[in-house]
Amino acid sequence: MKHTLHIAWKDLLFLLRSPGMMVAFLLFPIVMMLMLSYVFPKQPSQQMEGKIGVVSQDPAFSVFAKGKNVLYYKSLEELARGLMRDEVLVGVLVPEGFTKGFLKGEAKLKVIPNPKNPQMAVMMAQTVPNMMQAPSLSTTKRLEVELSGVDGGKFNYYDFTAPGLMAMIAILSVSTGLAAAITRERELGTLDGIMVAPISRGSIVVGKVLAQVARGIVQAMLILAVSMLFFNVHMVGSIWNVILLLILGTFSFIGIGVIVTAGMKSQETAQLMISMINFPMMFFSGVFFPIEQMPKFAHYISKVLPLTYAADALRNVMILGAGISEIWIDVVVLLGFAVTTSSLATMMFPKLVKD
Amino acid sequence: MKAIEVRELKKYYKEVKAVDGVSFDVEEGEFFGFLGPNGAGKSTTIRILTTLTKPTSGQALVAGHNVVREGKKVRSMIGLVSDKLILYNRLTVLENLFFFGRLYNIDKKTMMERAEELLTMLDLWDRRNTQAGKLSTGMKQKVNIARALLPRPKILFLDEPTIGLDPITTRKIRDFVKYLNEEGMTIVYTTHLLHEAETLCDRVAIINRGKIVALDTPRNLKRLFTEREVVEFELDKPVEMEMDCCRVLENAGNYYKVETTDLSKFVEELGKLPVKVRYIKSEEPSLEDIFVRIAGGE
Repeated sequence: MKHTLHIAWKDLLFLLRSPGMMVAFLLFPIVMMLMLSYVFPKQPSQQMEGKIGVVSQDPAFSVFAKGKNVLYYKSLEELARGLMRDEVLVGVLVPEGFTKGFLKGEAKLKVIPNPKNPQMAVMMAQTVPNMMQAPSLSTTKRLEVELSGVDGGKFNYYDFTAPGLMAMIAILSVSTGLAAAITRERELGTLDGIMVAPISRGSIVVGKVLAQVARGIVQAMLILAVSMLFFNVHMVGSIWNVILLLILGTFSFIGIGVIVTAGMKSQETAQLMISMINFPMMFFSGVFFPIEQMPKFAHYISKVLPLTYAADALRNVMILGAGISEIWIDVVVLLGFAVTTSSLATMMFPKLVKD
Repeated sequence: MKAIEVRELKKYYKEVKAVDGVSFDVEEGEFFGFLGPNGAGKSTTIRILTTLTKPTSGQALVAGHNVVREGKKVRSMIGLVSDKLILYNRLTVLENLFFFGRLYNIDKKTMMERAEELLTMLDLWDRRNTQAGKLSTGMKQKVNIARALLPRPKILFLDEPTIGLDPITTRKIRDFVKYLNEEGMTIVYTTHLLHEAETLCDRVAIINRGKIVALDTPRNLKRLFTEREVVEFELDKPVEMEMDCCRVLENAGNYYKVETTDLSKFVEELGKLPVKVRYIKSEEPSLEDIFVRIAGGE
């Protein structure tokens, strides 16, 4: 018993001796608590804030309620674009022969949720039937609402989680990887072997970065494969755009580990600092919880996180079939992150290698 | 042209003056030794000369190039072996050599030829496809040396290369480095073992607390600090020790420990006695003694 306490005290003493660790150690639970209490959706207050986009393929259709909350699109493509730009929270597709079917009491509507906020969109979809004007008919007639994707495929909740998860895994797995790879080689001594060769310092960093990016992409691809095989996820957009976004996503964040590790005294403190960046990023980037449901300050935080842009663009590509022209803003922002963090990381590389 | 020229080299860390105004030259083809205790500044000096660390001040030319401004040129001329092995455990011996060789733009065919030559000399050719992690420490150090030699450096830096190795491997490595030097390679070798420096080096710099306290040939240096030597020996029977060239420090049965000012004369005298010598060992003066003596102004 005496020894147990003795050993415990030694371990705690280590913590006390490292000021960086101490600060991180105290801040971590507070930050986590503050964050988590804000990210969870507060549903009652913000039930119906999105707009509904309507596309009609039925010339006879005219029964839908008109109002501020309803936008009409000429085609499915336009609706998809409207969803990508977040003009509407859900899309409603009125299929051919809808009016006729409605009269017979067997009408079907397709509702396309916005991938940014599927939960809210699904809730909203439930209210669509009530918005139908059916003056001459009894409301007891059945109106079926079917959730679907833009390509007409069946709605699958995993469709919405897969892109966010892919972006997250790719980005988070590299955030510590590069710094860890460099410090490990430094401690082993093998870094000296590379540093003492007549090559430029830049090629060392870039080479290591490439390996990390490849790792991140393979992991993301694994998620994609598993989602498609076991969770029936289907992808609307091009795989090349997906890969491009994953590369950009990992690049955008790859330098952060080097920057933090170079700035911190010990590897341990750096790890803790990085997880203090990573955790909020997971929650504030809209991967698990839609940003719309969070308070205002969370919106600002989400704007400075590369994962927000990567996840958003990936969702638009995979679920709505967006091309580069529709996601270029995300691409430019990610490029900006990538250039900034990578050049900072290269500048701080000598500090990381130390003497 | 000198292989290495160092003038007033300093490397200060926050609390330590690791290298504190060191100046020396190394001739081309010379076997130059750094002798000093742990933390004396040997490794830091090597790290500056191999461009791994920038000096706080002072100048160093390696193969005629400035280590700070022309790092890349310096790096193309040198090889580094230190006690920290520069090897990847997950790669095989050949993969290790080729990985580092590629950084010097050596083509695959040449790398293969040199690898075979080096590994054969170091008795490791039949282990070429073994992962480095599975080799013994001694074998690893040999591979590490082969790695440093693959690009055919003009100057080879060895920072305590025999630390923690068994006597046979140590011997092999010393012989091999000596052979490299005879083939014309300039060697800079650090050690904290006096006798290692003595047997290998043309000239030795004794370094302590970041300063070179003596720099000369081993023979001259020895003269500096070995006016007296301690000899331990065991005879087949006890004998009366009455020589004027020695003083008995300890005696227990057949065992003796004596102090002498003239080792060769003592051995001669000992041979004249009607006894057989079972065991004899001359104790080297400890480094501490030497430093105390040199630092004391002797």
